[in-house]
Formats: sequence, structure tokens, C-alpha cells
Amino acid sequence: MSLAVPNGLDNSVERPGTRAPLVLGESSYHSITEAVCKIAENPPSKLWVISFLVAVHLATMLGLCIAYLFYTGVGVWGNRNPVFWGWPIVNFVFWVGIGHAGTLISAILYLFRQEWRTSINRTAEAMTIFAVVCAGTFPGIHVGRAWLAFWLAPYPSLNLWMWPQFRSPLLWDVFAVSTYATVSLLFWYMGMVPDLATFRDRSKNPFRRAVYGVLSLGWSGSSRHWMRYEKAYALLAAFAAPLVLSVHTIVSFDFAVSQVPGWHTTIFPPYFVAGAIFSGFAMVITLMVPARAIFSIEKLITIRHLENMCKIILTTGMIVGLAYGTEFFIAWYGQVTEEKFAFINRAMGPYWWAYWTMITCNVISPNIFWWKKARTTPWIMFVVSIFVNIGMWFERFVITVTSLSRDYLPSAWAYFEPTWVDWAMLIGSFGLFFTLFLLFCRLMPIVNMAETKATLAKELHMAHKDGH
Amino acid sequence: MSHHQAVAPKPADDPAFTMPALLSGMSLPLCIGGLIALVGGAFLGTTSLGGKFGMSAYLTAYMYAFTIALGSLFFVLIQHLARAGWSVVVRRVAELMMVMLLPLALMFLPIAFSVWNGSLYSWTDPGYQAEHGVPAAVWAEKIRWLNPQWFTFRALLYFGIWCATAWWYYSKSQRQDETGEVTLTESMQARSGPAVILFSFCTAFAAFDWVMSLAPMWFSTMFGVYIFTGSILSAHCAIALLSFVLQKQGAIRDEVTIEHYHDLGKLIFGFICFWGYIAFSQYMLIWYANIPEETHWFAGRYPGFSDTFGPIAIALMVLHWGLPFLGIMSRHVRRRPWAVAAWSLYILVMHFVDLYWAIMPEANLGAGGVVGVISSLLCVIGMVALMLGLVIVVGSGTRLIPVRDPRLGESLAFENI
Amino acid sequence: MSETKPAPKTVADGNTVHGVVAEFSDVDSLLAACERVRDAGYTKADAFTPFPVHGIDKALGIKPTVLPWIALTAGAIGTCTALTMQIWMNGIDYQYIISGKPYISLPAFIPVSFELTILFASFGTFFGMWALNGLPRFSNPMFTSPRFDRATDDTFFLYLDAKDKRFNEEGAKALLGDLGGAYIEPVVEDDSPKKIPSFLLIAIAVVIAFSMIPALVVARMRVTKSSSPRFHIFPDMDFSPAKDAQQISTLFADGRAMRPDVPGTVSRGGLDWDVDFQTGIDMEKLAQVDAPRARQLVAMMQSDTEVVEADGEVAGEEEAVKEVVEETTEEVQADEPSTDEPSADEPASEEPAAEEPEAEMTEEAEAPAEEEPAAEETESTEETPAEEEPAAEEPAEEEMTAEETPAEEPAAEGPSEEEPVAEAKTEEPEAEASKPEAPTALAPASGPTVDTTPWLTDNPLAIDAAVLQRGQQQFNIYCSVCHGMNGRGNGLVNQRAQRILATTWTPPSNLHDATLYQDVYPDGKLFGTISNGVRKMPGYAAQIRAKDRWAIVSYVRALQASQNASLEEVPASQREAIEKKQSEVKAELEKAAAEEAAKAQKTAT
Repeated sequence: MSLAVPNGLDNSVERPGTRAPLVLGESSYHSITEAVCKIAENPPSKLWVISFLVAVHLATMLGLCIAYLFYTGVGVWGNRNPVFWGWPIVNFVFWVGIGHAGTLISAILYLFRQEWRTSINRTAEAMTIFAVVCAGTFPGIHVGRAWLAFWLAPYPSLNLWMWPQFRSPLLWDVFAVSTYATVSLLFWYMGMVPDLATFRDRSKNPFRRAVYGVLSLGWSGSSRHWMRYEKAYALLAAFAAPLVLSVHTIVSFDFAVSQVPGWHTTIFPPYFVAGAIFSGFAMVITLMVPARAIFSIEKLITIRHLENMCKIILTTGMIVGLAYGTEFFIAWYGQVTEEKFAFINRAMGPYWWAYWTMITCNVISPNIFWWKKARTTPWIMFVVSIFVNIGMWFERFVITVTSLSRDYLPSAWAYFEPTWVDWAMLIGSFGLFFTLFLLFCRLMPIVNMAETKATLAKELHMAHKDGH
Repeated sequence: MSHHQAVAPKPADDPAFTMPALLSGMSLPLCIGGLIALVGGAFLGTTSLGGKFGMSAYLTAYMYAFTIALGSLFFVLIQHLARAGWSVVVRRVAELMMVMLLPLALMFLPIAFSVWNGSLYSWTDPGYQAEHGVPAAVWAEKIRWLNPQWFTFRALLYFGIWCATAWWYYSKSQRQDETGEVTLTESMQARSGPAVILFSFCTAFAAFDWVMSLAPMWFSTMFGVYIFTGSILSAHCAIALLSFVLQKQGAIRDEVTIEHYHDLGKLIFGFICFWGYIAFSQYMLIWYANIPEETHWFAGRYPGFSDTFGPIAIALMVLHWGLPFLGIMSRHVRRRPWAVAAWSLYILVMHFVDLYWAIMPEANLGAGGVVGVISSLLCVIGMVALMLGLVIVVGSGTRLIPVRDPRLGESLAFENI
Repeated sequence: MSETKPAPKTVADGNTVHGVVAEFSDVDSLLAACERVRDAGYTKADAFTPFPVHGIDKALGIKPTVLPWIALTAGAIGTCTALTMQIWMNGIDYQYIISGKPYISLPAFIPVSFELTILFASFGTFFGMWALNGLPRFSNPMFTSPRFDRATDDTFFLYLDAKDKRFNEEGAKALLGDLGGAYIEPVVEDDSPKKIPSFLLIAIAVVIAFSMIPALVVARMRVTKSSSPRFHIFPDMDFSPAKDAQQISTLFADGRAMRPDVPGTVSRGGLDWDVDFQTGIDMEKLAQVDAPRARQLVAMMQSDTEVVEADGEVAGEEEAVKEVVEETTEEVQADEPSTDEPSADEPASEEPAAEEPEAEMTEEAEAPAEEEPAAEETESTEETPAEEEPAAEEPAEEEMTAEETPAEEPAAEGPSEEEPVAEAKTEEPEAEASKPEAPTALAPASGPTVDTTPWLTDNPLAIDAAVLQRGQQQFNIYCSVCHGMNGRGNGLVNQRAQRILATTWTPPSNLHDATLYQDVYPDGKLFGTISNGVRKMPGYAAQIRAKDRWAIVSYVRALQASQNASLEEVPASQREAIEKKQSEVKAELEKAAAEEAAKAQKTAT
């Protein structure tokens, strides 16, 4: 797989007054259909099979670890007094953060009429769903007796005779994450229906045709349907955009409503949201750069798409950096002893390595994107996106673990050590994520064909007009 | 897939791009009247309720004008950063308000002066520490940040950055009016990234310095964002309102269309929600954790604790967020320019209430009775009139849209989906 | 195709014709054709496109949708549902205070309200859209033509519906031909068999039948009873290795089922190392008389002190204490193998656990080398109280100042002296009834067994009014229920036990019995009794702090003294007041007696 830019596919330069094309080459509507459908229709490549096997093995490992956890108890994790929120919560926030870019790309970029979203939104939305699946796993098993997790739901129980506690951010989390998962799923599925209809209409195999036929709900492409469909899509986008913000805000409330030094700071909501976008876009790049090369869809997912994502990574990286700085400044300015200590402890305490890993990956590494060369070179952005993913995991680690390991009571201070189960679960969650993602690549339209065709139509129209 | 015809821009010297005569004639009365009202208001407050009240009223009025100008600067920067096409026709209006940062830098002098003679910020009061029982070690650290020299230097730094950015963007845009060089757009685009970063940095710290430090022991990391949301919201409203006024007077009638109002309306709607989100998050976190270091700020502004500002807090929730949220939600409203302009005016009033609620409680006199209210209102009316006069003066010397911007055609032909 | 079922107008080849369709290859020609069709007066024309075509709504004259209103309504329902639910659940139906927040905390209810608003609005939008579009609909006449497969690929179709008022097949075909449409065809009814294949029906029936099995099993289990233990699908800690306090456990590396205190922590009030103070025994003397017992007692007192080694600073104020600690840690270290061994060698779990400490004790006693530390220990315990004294004096000094205010003491002693007098009179008959029993009950304790324990003879607390008041307060709380407020052994519990003639009841001692006076029943012993109990009386060590137990001892002594104290013992300053009161009481008594006598005379006459 080559990560270099094929010749003639650089549309990253745009003269003001004109718009660089987003669909490249001698594309036609049919060629877009071909390019996308053949990914699912052709037999799987060796690379896909190998990756899938690896991913499935890792996912199985996660499953076994969960079984071990259920059988033995939460003591198999490194969570000990005083760090009761160890890696499981770190992983939860990490995955749910990644889960935000998908809907964000779809919804907010849609609302801002950023047409470059069309060819990446499907993958990003799928990534959202799978990341939320991974994210949901962790708090689910973290409740201790996971088989009783339904107690979180406000149902009239004859055994408990009580209601959940709605003044707790942890219950807000339950509502936020489940709403987010549901709405993202609706948004993803709804966006996919016309493309599933394309799959249906191309299927030769009656079984495939029947399955895609059911999934596409009898979509015919009627203009009346399209009109309501587009309205519904815009409405869902308008609902999903504040939803994205709210979900990570509520995740940040989990921390910020408490009084733990380093957790209770008012900037957490927007700062968490920026961090989520940051990590999410990084994950999209991590997935897209190899995917476009493997599936030869460079004409649809162009350098310009990638460059725009790099710019967003740069921007959100700067915002996150500003938030780190503000937190530090206010910790000093506020002159609250514990707060001051918490921040000095982060940078200079026993977890200094985690803190500086975070700063290096999140604040320093994206700065390479100030150079256009870096923004248009796939392998560089791939490397940086990996760095950002690592950095954002460490951010959650730093927030969760350093603050808990040293809070108000020095006699209760302790150093957190993960166990092998922690490691296996983190790695396994990547296995689960990639299993789902690889299946998606094979079974579903990974590029939104209908919208890409609409973009092409617009570009053809413009070209036609300029020709006059 | 647009069916609309690309609109050819009018020639650059079309009379529709000049300041309408009625407005030009009003510039001088506005400036003079505004100055008198402003000085009168501050004087009234100072003489009848003390220097602290007078200066607080001035600061409220100042922050009001300043946040609008600052938001306009951000608007211009972000349009370049995003290579936006739709907004070109209203960009000049924003640019006119953006250059008000230069006169506003001068208007900051009374505030800078008050830091040295100790009439506004309570941290300049040498007795503050003893009076409030602040531990000596804490206070020693505090005044390493909050001292007149360093405060003045920081203000100079912020204004240096803002004014330089504003002036650079304004003059480049002006030059493009004459030459139509495409490279100017490119260079403005290229610099917008770093400019936005410097902008955010200065804005956050200016909010800490000028407003948050009124209560020296209070702190909230969100506060910079809070001021910024008000700023960007009011700037969008001011752009919509000013464009509407200009159109009523006969300028840029064919250029700014329903589509642009629709878009501005959407953004205003979005920023109302954003303001609500930030205001709520800040309140919620402080309310929930209930730590005395933080809650005292809200205690002075909360129903049941303050008879003056408590009701205003409720009013802000209902009138700054709830009412406009419902009002601008409908597409039908956003596609009527007069409705967008009316809501903009309304939100601009609410923005003043917001700043009033944030700043005035620290003068410790409530609203200051009828005299206090009159003083506060005179200050802000004077400030707005003065700035409006100056905007007209600057606008009279230039065109009201960037006539040779390469993306003007796109903006003219813009249609919402 | 959201319209109602088309009314068939034309029949071709025996099939219903629903309309006429034509193909177009690009957007612009389609849009132009749409406009012409609209202008020609067709209102039920439709276009089928692979992507949403901008401007086609206008070109076809399609009216805007009501979808936003559905979304708004659904969203509003969501908000109301969420707020009602939260206010009802946390504010009304199941109230409890958490983190000091009101039952109805609107700020805390906003997040969930927001989420449900979005959720409901999204459901409204999503399902509303499909409903308005009439989807899912799997059988569509449009799909009959294989060419229509390209409607989702790259071809644009314009369709004139037969339901339209202006429709006639030939005219429509001609119009579409004029507009440049290719492959103009009638759309005919789908003639594929509509009957569901029988194998599918059978398969569905089988699946449904199988899916009923678990539900039926559960339903049956709900209504039947079983004597066998329940299934443990999830362990739920039902099989956790529960142990009693002294048992051996394999769960922990040190073999103990009981966990020692957390390293680096001191339990509340656990910083008091004075063994004498804690036991009421002069440990130095006891070590000479009965070394093993002294060792045992010290070990018991300090069984948790091994941990102190890690955190010497806490106890570091006093050297002597440290020594004790070090020795006891040595002991514990020496003990450890001996506790492990039996568990490893013998089937220890069957052995009565209570025997173990005794076994250890004998082992230790046999080891002569270990007697030395015991001797040292006595030295150290000697030092301990000596060094603690200054610390104990401090509060005493404070209390001295309290003593200076003379008003307090009479107030404290006054009633205590009075009460017995008053009560003694009223309760005499009952007291007399119980008296004969008391000595026999006491006999086994004070009689045959010779108590050689060197009890502390004096109260280690510096006695003052504050201590006595504290003692009185604690006595009234803990002791008076049985022993009575005056200590005569006739508290409420005893009264009730007498009334119901409880057979197992041992009456509480009368504290004014001479056998409990200080000369025969030293303070230390009284302290020991309070701490560890005697006969039916339980020990109170767990409930009352050592200092308070000593205060109770002091108060009991005061109570005893009150019964036969002479006026000379009272401080001169208060004598007068007491004498005055005495005379008052006497006068009243005499008056009462006189009145009674007068009454008696009256009745007699």
C-alpha cells in the first residue's frame, strides 16, 4: 500500500474566487458507484483477511477478559484505593471522545455547508458508532455487577422500590451516551439508505438483494422522498450537533462537578469537546489514509479532504493547548493550595512522564501542520494522527489518575499500577473497534455515493457554466 | 446544484456602495452627543455614587462596545480562515466595526488610569487583604499578577495585537477594493490562523484582567469563553442590524439578500445556544461543587441573595436565552430581514444586561437607585452613539462591501439549501 | 410514492398501468423536462434520481413538508417527559437528600431533559420522515422494470402518474418524447407472486415456537416452587469465602481472615498506649505475679501495633511507647510462624479456633529466652505512665480553672445527694424485696475465687468536677438503665424484669453494697468490670472510651460516698447551703408528718 500522492490528484491548491474540485479524475456518476460498490462486491483482499483475523482475535481477547472480570470481580483491574477510576474510565472517555468526530463531521460540517464532508462522513459516522460501542463497554463492566446494569434505567421496579438518582452526573452520562448512540445510529443508517438501495439494485445474488432490499426499505429515489429525506437529514444534523457537544460536556461533568483538585474547573465542558473533536479527527485520518490507498478511492477522498482535517486537528490542538495553559494559570491565579498542588503534581509529580507525553503529542506534534507540505503528505499526517491518539489517551489518563492518586488526604496517596487485564482490555477494545470497522468496509457503502454525486453534479454544472 | 444565475457585481464605484447621506450627516451629532452622554453618565455616577460606581458604569459601557468590536474582528478572521464565500457582502460592515478597536484602545485610558488611582478594581485597594482576611502568602502571589504596572503592560500588549490585526486586515481589504489583487486574499487567509490563536489568547486573558479581576479572589477558567460567546453573538447581531439599517437607507440593497440574513440568523441562533451552553455550564459546575471560593461570585448575583441582580439572573436565563431561542428557531423568521434585524436589536440589548449583571455587582451599590440606572444607561447609550458615529465616519471614507473580492460573485449568488 | 393507491386507468397486456416513465441522462435536461411537465398542468409527476437534485422541488411544484413541526412536537414532548419524570421520581415519589441539593434541582435536571428532547425529536424526525414517505414499501411498480435499477446509479427518471387528471397514456408518452426522454415505458403492476413461500412461513413459525421456550420456562419457574437452591447464573459474590474473625483463611497471604488495620492509619482514639489505663491493672506487678497473663494482655492491647513500625513518627512522641511497640512487634514476628504452622501441618480448620491463642501462650511461656523481653516490657510499662503524666495533667489544669468557679460543684453534687434520699423513701418496699437476693447473687463473684490481680487502686484520672460530670452523664446513659440513677440496682430494666418475673434475670448489683467499696473492690477492678462485664452484664469497652470509663468509676465512687458522707467532708464554703437545704427538707418532712398525723387523728376521731 502506498501512502504517497498519486500524480494529478493534488487539489489542495485553491485560487480565491474558484473552488477546487472535490471529486477528481474523469469521474462520472457511474464511476463513483463503481468505485464504492466494488469495495464490497469484490472478494476480500489478503490484507483485509489478515487484518480481520488479527482484529477478531483481539476482540475475542477482550471478550475473554470481560468473562474473567465477571467471574472474578473488579479486583482484576489495577483500580485500588485511592484510584478507583483507573483505565476503564480512561478508555471510556478516550473512545467516547473519538466517537464524537463522526457525528460532528457529519452534522456540524453539514450545517456549515462544508462540502468536503461528503466523501468522509460515512466512514466517520461508522467510526462513531463503533467507538461508542467500545466506549459503552467500559462503564458497563465498570459498574461491578454488570448484569444488574439495567438498574440504571428509570423503570418501576418491584424489587428495588426506588428510582435512580437524577442529580448525579453518572446518570446523566447514561442518558447522554445512550441518546448519542441511538441518534448517531439513526443518522448513520438514514444517510446510508439511498446507498443501500444502490447496493440492492446492483446485487446479482438474490440473497444479497433481499438483505439489502430490506435494509434500504424500498427506497426508490423519488423526488418527494428526497425532499423529505433532506429535510429530515438537516433536522437530524441540527439535533446531532448540540448533542455531540452535550455528550462530551456531560462526560466532563462526571469529573468537573466533583471537588477533586484538577477535576473541578469550569473550562472542562468546552475543553473536553475540543479534545473530543481533536482525537476524533485524528482517528478519522488514521483510518482514512490507509483505507483510501487500499480501496483506491483517492479520487473521492482527496488530498484536500485530508488537508482540511489536518487544519481542524491543528486548530483543535491549539484550543486544547490553550485550555491546558488556562487551567495552569488559573490554578496559580486562584491560589487554592490543593488546586495548585494538583497541577504542579501533574507536571512534576510521579506521573510527569504521562503529562509530558500528553503535551508532546497533543500540543507540540500537531504544529507540524503549519507547513502545507505536512498537511498534504499522507504518511506524515498518519504518523501525527497516531501521536494525537496516544496523546489524547494520555490526557484522559492524566486527568483521571493523577488527580485521584493524590488528592486532599496525603496519607491515602498511592501510585496507580495497571494489571495485565487493563492492558489486554485496552488492546482488545481496539480489536473490537477494528473488527466492526473492517466488517463495515466489506458490507456497507463506505463513501456516501449519493452526496458525492450531488457534489459532482454541482462541479459539473460549474464547469459547464465556465465553459460558456 | 444551483439553478440560480451568477450575479455580476456592480461596478466598484456604484453609488450603492457609499454611505447614505442621511447617515453621513448624523455622524458628527452622534459623536458629540455620544461623548457628552458618556462623560455625563460617568460623571453623574461618580459624583452621586462614588468613583467606583461611575467607573463601573463606564467599564460596562466600554466592555459593551468593545466586545462587539472584538467579535467583529473574530468574524473577519474566521471568514478568512474558513475561506468563506457567502459572507463577503457583509464582511465590510464587520470590518468597519472591527477598526473601532483603535478608538476603543484610547477609550481604555480611563480604565488604565483607574488602576493607578485605585477607583475601580478592588485589588488596587491596599486595605483589601486585611478587610477580607486573605492570607498574606496568597495575597503576595495574587498581586504578582494583579498590580498596576503589569496590568497596564498586559493591556498594552492585548491592544497592540488586536489593533495591529484589525488595522492590517482593514487596510488589506481596502487595498483590494482598489486593485482587486487575488494575492491579498491569499495572504489574509494565510495569516488568519496565527491571528486567531493570538486573538483567543488575548481575549481569554483580557476577560480575566478586566472583568474577572473585579472580584479579585474569584476565578473561573471558563470566564474568557463566557465573555467571548457574548462578544461573537453580539457581533453577529450588530452586523445584521447595521446591514439592515444601511439597506433601509438605500445602500447595498441588491447585495445583501434574504439568504445572507437567513445565514446570519442561523449563526445568531447557534450562538444564542452556545451562550446558553457556556453560561449554564459555568453556573452548573460552580453550583454543583458548591465551593465557597467560587460561589461567592454567584451569591452576589443570585435570586434570594441580591434583590437587584437576582431577578436579572432569571431574566437573563429567560430573555437572553429562552425567548430568542424560540423566536429565531423558525426558518420563516430567519428569512425575513426585518425580523432578523429586530431580534438582533433585542439581543444587543440583552447583551448589555448580561455585561451589566457581570460587572455592576462588584461596585457594591446594587443598581444605585434611579440615579445609578440613569448613569449606567447614559454611559452605554453614549458609548454606542459615539461608536456608531465613528463607524459612519470611517464608512463614509470607503465602500460598504469589498467590491473586488474574488469571492464576491459567489457571495452574491449565494443561496441556502 | 406517498400518494394513495393509484386508480387504474389503462390496462395493457392484462396488467394495470400506473403511469409512464422516461429516462434522462443528466440533471439539466431533467430539470427542464420537469418544468415543462409542471407547466403542462401535471400535478402528480415525480422524478427518480440517484441523488437529491437541487431545485427540483420548485421544478415539480412539490410543497414543503410538515416534518419540522413533527420534530418540534416530539422534542417538546421529550422535554416534558424528562422534566416530569425527574421531578416525580426524585422530587416527589422517592425523596432523598444527596450532596445537599434540593429534591427538585432544576440545574441538575437539565442534562437529562436536553438529552431526551433531542432523542424524542430525532425519533420524530426519523420515523416521521419514513412514515410521510410511505416507507418501508418493498413492492413498488417502479421496480418491475430492470432499467429502473439504474435510478440509484446514474440515470434520472421522470414519471407521470396515471392518477393525474391530465393523464392519458399516449399523450404522456408523446410529451415525454418531446422533452427528450429515452426509453419511454408504461409502468405496470408488479406481477410477481404475492404469496409468501410456504417454506418461509414454516421457518418463521419454527423460529417463533423456539423463541417461546425460554419465556415459557421462565413463566413456569415463576409459578412453581422448588426446594433446591437457586441458579447462580452470575456469582454475585454468593460464594465469597466468608470467615469468622479468628479463622484461618487461604484468601490472604498472611493466612488471617481478619484484616489488620491499614498501614499508616490509626483508628480513632487508638493513640493511647497506656496499658494500665486501658486495663485497669498494674501491669508491672502482674508481670511479676503472672507473666504469661501480662504478656497476653499486652499483646491483646497492642495486637494491631505491628503496623506502627511503618509509621513510627506517629507514636514517636514518647520513647517508652516506642519501646513497647518494638517489643510487641518482635513478638508478633515471632508469633507469625507459629500461627502459620498449625494451619499448614494439621487439618487446622477443624480445630476450634479459640484454642489457638492459648496454644501460643504456652509455647511462649516455655521458651525461656522470651522471658527477657517480658521483663523489659514491665520496665517500659513502668516508664509509660510516668511519661504520660504530664500529658494527663494538662487537661487537669484546665479543669482546675473550672473548679475555681464554686457554683459548679454543689450543682453537680447537690442533686446526686438528694436523689438517693428521695428515692430511697419511695422505693423502699421494692428495694427491700430485692435485697435478700442480692448477696446470694454476688456471692460467687466475690466469694470463693481469690482474685490475685493487682488492680489499680486509684483512678488514674485527675478527679475534678468536669470528670465527675462526665462520669455522671455516661453513667446515666449506659449504667442507669439497670443499676438505676442512684446506683441501687433498680433501673428500669430491672423493674421490668421483676414485673414479668423473668427467670433468667440476674438482678444488677446494688452499687452501695459494702463489697463494692474501694477498699475491697479497687478502682481498677471496677474499671475492669465496666470494660469486660461480669455475670450477665456485658462489657462496655467497645462503647465507652477508656477515659469515660474511668470517669464512670469516679462517679460511682461519688455515688457510694454520697450515701454515708458526713457534713465535714463537704467543703466549708458549701456546707451552709447544704445545711440550709437540709433544714428546709427536714422542716417540710416534719410538716408533712405533722399533717399526716393530724389527718390520722381526724380519721381516728
